[in-house]
Amino acid sequence: MMKNAESTTSEYHVASFVAYPILAQLNEVKQAIADIEGTDIHATSDEGKIVFTIEGNSYRDIGTKMDIIRVHKGLINLSPVYHQILDESDNEKIEEQYTELKK
Amino acid sequence: MTINRREFIKANAIAAAAAVAGVSIPAVASNLITSSDITKLKWDKAPCRFCGTGCSVNVGVMDGKVVATHGDIKSPVNKGLNCVKGYFLSKIMYGKDRLTTPLLRMTNGKYDKEGEFAPVSWDQAFNVMAEKAKDALKKDGPEALGMFGSGQWTVQEGYAAVKLMKAGFRTNNIDPNARHCMASAVGGFMRTFGIDEPMGCYDDLEAADAFVLWGSNMAEMHPILWTRLTDRRLSSPHVKVAVLSTFEHRSFDLADNGMIFTPQTDLAILNYIANYIIKTDRVNKEFVSKHTNFRLGETDIGYGLRPEHPLEQAAKNNGKTAGSSTQIDFEEYAEFVSTYTVEYVAKLSGVPEHKLEALAELYADPKIKVTSFWTMGFNQHTRGVWANNLVYNIHLLTGKISTPGNSPFSLTGQPSACGTAREVGTFSHRLPADMVVKNPKHRAIAEKIWDLPEGTVPPKPGYHAALQNRMLKDGKLNFYWVQCNNNMQAAANINEEGYPGYRNPKNFIVVSDPYPTVTAQAADLILPTAMWVEKEGVYGNAERRTQSWYQMVEAPQGAKSDLWQLVEFSKRFNIEDVWPEELIAKKPNVRGKTLFDVLYKDASVGKFSLDEIPEDRLNDDARDFGFYIQKGLFEEYASFGRGHAHDLAPYDTYHKERGLRWPVVNGKETKWRFKEGSDPYVKAGTGWDFYGHKDGRAKIFALPYEPAAESPDEEYDLWLSTGRVLEHWHSGSMTQRVPELYKAMPDALVYMHPDDAKKRGMRRGDLVKLISRRGEVQTRVETRGRNKPPIGLVFMPWFDASRLVNKVTLDATDPLSKQTDFKKCAIKIVKV
Repeated sequence: MMKNAESTTSEYHVASFVAYPILAQLNEVKQAIADIEGTDIHATSDEGKIVFTIEGNSYRDIGTKMDIIRVHKGLINLSPVYHQILDESDNEKIEEQYTELKK
Repeated sequence: MTINRREFIKANAIAAAAAVAGVSIPAVASNLITSSDITKLKWDKAPCRFCGTGCSVNVGVMDGKVVATHGDIKSPVNKGLNCVKGYFLSKIMYGKDRLTTPLLRMTNGKYDKEGEFAPVSWDQAFNVMAEKAKDALKKDGPEALGMFGSGQWTVQEGYAAVKLMKAGFRTNNIDPNARHCMASAVGGFMRTFGIDEPMGCYDDLEAADAFVLWGSNMAEMHPILWTRLTDRRLSSPHVKVAVLSTFEHRSFDLADNGMIFTPQTDLAILNYIANYIIKTDRVNKEFVSKHTNFRLGETDIGYGLRPEHPLEQAAKNNGKTAGSSTQIDFEEYAEFVSTYTVEYVAKLSGVPEHKLEALAELYADPKIKVTSFWTMGFNQHTRGVWANNLVYNIHLLTGKISTPGNSPFSLTGQPSACGTAREVGTFSHRLPADMVVKNPKHRAIAEKIWDLPEGTVPPKPGYHAALQNRMLKDGKLNFYWVQCNNNMQAAANINEEGYPGYRNPKNFIVVSDPYPTVTAQAADLILPTAMWVEKEGVYGNAERRTQSWYQMVEAPQGAKSDLWQLVEFSKRFNIEDVWPEELIAKKPNVRGKTLFDVLYKDASVGKFSLDEIPEDRLNDDARDFGFYIQKGLFEEYASFGRGHAHDLAPYDTYHKERGLRWPVVNGKETKWRFKEGSDPYVKAGTGWDFYGHKDGRAKIFALPYEPAAESPDEEYDLWLSTGRVLEHWHSGSMTQRVPELYKAMPDALVYMHPDDAKKRGMRRGDLVKLISRRGEVQTRVETRGRNKPPIGLVFMPWFDASRLVNKVTLDATDPLSKQTDFKKCAIKIVKV
C-alpha cells in the first residue's frame, strides 16, 4: 500500500512514470522506488519496465522524489507520463458532486 | 464502489503509464479512464514547448488554468512518454515574476536610456517604439533596423516577422537564435543536397542496426528519442551504439564504443572513415556512380571573426569564395582522404586505433544499417558546414541513406528551429521554402505571392546574429527588437560584443519576453509576452513534422503574443513612412495605407473570417484583428512551398492530426525523402533522386582537417566547452523559473578532471575563476558527477544567468554558416 503523502497545502498532485531499469538491477530499483514516501508501484512489464506513481502536495514535492529516483545507478531512463493537480480548497462541495455522479 | 477524486485521477495516471509501458492493469483502474466531466478537465493536444524533438502533449485545463499534462499516446513521436522538462510544462506559464505590463526606461516620466524601468501602457510603448524606428529609418535607412527572433516563435510569428522586416521595413536584418543552433546543419544540407532538412525520420530509430552519436548527448538533450534508441538497443542484442564526444556524458552509459576525442579532430575522424571504406573496398560503386558528384572545397577560410583579427588577416580564402568548390573525380577524392590513416588520426584525436576501426566498420559493413545523430558538437564548430558535409560523405559512399535505418540525421534544439527558422526562412539571407534574398528569381516569387511591387525585397543579405551584435556596438544598427530568446546570455563574448551594443546611446533596444531575463534587463523597453498554449500556433520539428495547437488558456492580463505585438506594431506605419516614392508609384493603391493593411489585412493573410474558428475556441489574437490571422499567415506561407517539394497540408488538417511530415502530397506525408517509392518527388526509375540539385546528384566534398580558432597554450592551458544539462533547456529563462528544476541543478558548475583540479591545488566545491583573453567568470569546481571531462578540457553549462560563461567564450564563427563555435576556446582556471 501507498504510504500517506504529506498534505500541508490545499493541492494534491499525482504523477505517473515508466522506469527503465537495467534488468539485473530490477529489484534494487523497485526497492528504491518503494522506499520513497508517496510512491506506489502498479505493474512491471516482462522487459522490466516499472509503472509507478508518486503522490504529493506540490510540484516541488514530486520533483524532489522524482530526482531521487532518477539518479539511481540501476536506471537507464525515467519517463514521466501523466501529471495532474487537484485544488482541494473546496473539498466538501466536490465530494458531493462525486456522490451524485456515483449514483 | 466508492471512489473519490484523488483515486479517480490516480487511476487515470496509472492507466496512462500502463498503456505506455504495454502492461495490463487491474480493472478498477482501467474502467475509470474516460470521463472528463467528472473532473471538468478539458483536454487538448499541443507540441511540447521545450526542444526540437516535437513530442505531443495532452494538456488538461480547468477553470482557465493548465492543471494536468500527459504524454500523448496517439503521438508517433513520443508514444505517450514525456521527459523531465515536459513534466514541468504546465508550470512554465505560472512563474512568480511573469511580466504583465510593458516596462520602459524613464526619468521624470519620459524615456531615458539611463533611466529606471517603469510600467507604461501598450499604447505608450508602441508610441516610443514607432518614434525610434522612424527616426532610425529617416536617419540611416532600413539597414538601421533589425530584429532577432527565434526557433521558438510559432511558424506564423516567424512568417509575420519576415514579412514585416523584409517587405515592410525593407531590411534583411532579421535572424533567429537558431543561428546559434543549426545554421551549420542548414549549410551542410544546402551544399550537399541543395535542399534543407533531414531525409529520414524518427522511424529510423526502430530500423537501424547501429547508431553513431557525433557531438550529441541525446540521453540528456533528447530524452524521448533516447528512450526509443534505448528500447531498440535493449530489445535487439545485435544493435550497436557508438558515442563520440570531447568529454564523457550520460549517453556513454549505453555505448558499446565510447570515444573521447581532442576538440576539432572530428573532421579527421570523418575523413579516416571515408578512407577506411575506400581502402577496404566497400564503396557502393553503383550508388556512387549514379547519384553523386565529387567536389574539392576551398580551404583556409578563416574563423568568421572581425576582419582586423589576426586570424582573419592570416587566412587566405576568407572572402566570398570561402564556400566555392571545383569538380574532381573519385580517384582524386580517394587520394585526398588517403592521408587520414588510422595511425595519424589516432594520434591526432587521442582515440585508440581499435576504437576508430570498430567505428569505421559500422559504416563500411554493407549489412549494417547505420543512423548518425548529431547536434551542437558538429554545428557549433568553426568548420560546422564541413563536419556536416563530411558525415554525408560517409553515408553517400556506402549508399546508406534515405532508407529505413540508414540515416544521417541532424537533430535540432528548439521546438520550431526547423519549422520557423529554416522552413519559413527567418534568417538574414533567406526567404520561405529554401529561397534566398540574393537570387532575383526568388525575390520575384516572394513579391508575387505578397502582391508587392518588384524591388520591394532588398537583395543584400542582412546582418546575421553575431554581426547584429557587432553592428549594435558599432552604432550602425539602431532600432533592434528581440523576441522569444535570451541572447545576452546565449551569445558568445558578451562582454566585448554583446552588452556594449545594447547600452550604446545611439540604439533603442526592445525585448519581448514572458520573464525578466538578462536580455530584457539590458533593453530599453520590455514587452510582456504570452506563451505556448496562451496563443494558437504551429511548430515544425526535426523530422519535418508540422504540428498545430489551439489557444487553451488566457494569457495573464497585459501579456500579448509575439504575433499580436508584431502585427499591432505594423499599424503604426503608413506606407509613406517606410517606402520610397518610386516604389509606391509602382503600386499606387497602397498609398495612404498602413503596413498592417498592406502586409496582413488586405493581403491573402486577411482572407479567412472569424467564422472558421470553432466557437468554443479561444483565439485572442484573431478576434482582436478581426480575421483568422493564424490560418491566413499559414496558408500564405504554405503557398511558397506547395509544388516545390515543401508541400504542407491545408491548415485545418493539422488541428486534427498529430502532425505530418512534409512534403505532404495528396494528403500523404513523406517519411524518407529522395528514395523512389517513399518520396513522391523522385522521378520514376531513378531509385534515388537528390532533386535539390539540378542534376539529381548529391555532392561528396573533399575537405581537410583544419585546427580550431583558439587552442590551449602555455598561459591559457585548458579547452573550454559549453553546453546544456537536461534540467535547463537553453538559457534557463523558462526552466529556471521552475523551482524543482532549479533545485535539481541549481548553479552552473565547471566540470573538470580530478587530476586537473589536483594539479592546480583545487578540490571539489572550491570557488574558482575561469579566465580567457576576453573575460572571466566565477564558479565552483565539480570533479564528480555525470559529465566527466578528460585531462585538459573543462565543461561548463550556460543556463545560469548569475554565471555567464559567455563572458569568456570566443565569438569565432563558421565562415560559411555564421554559426558560433561555443565548444572550443582556451582558458585558465585559478582559485579565488
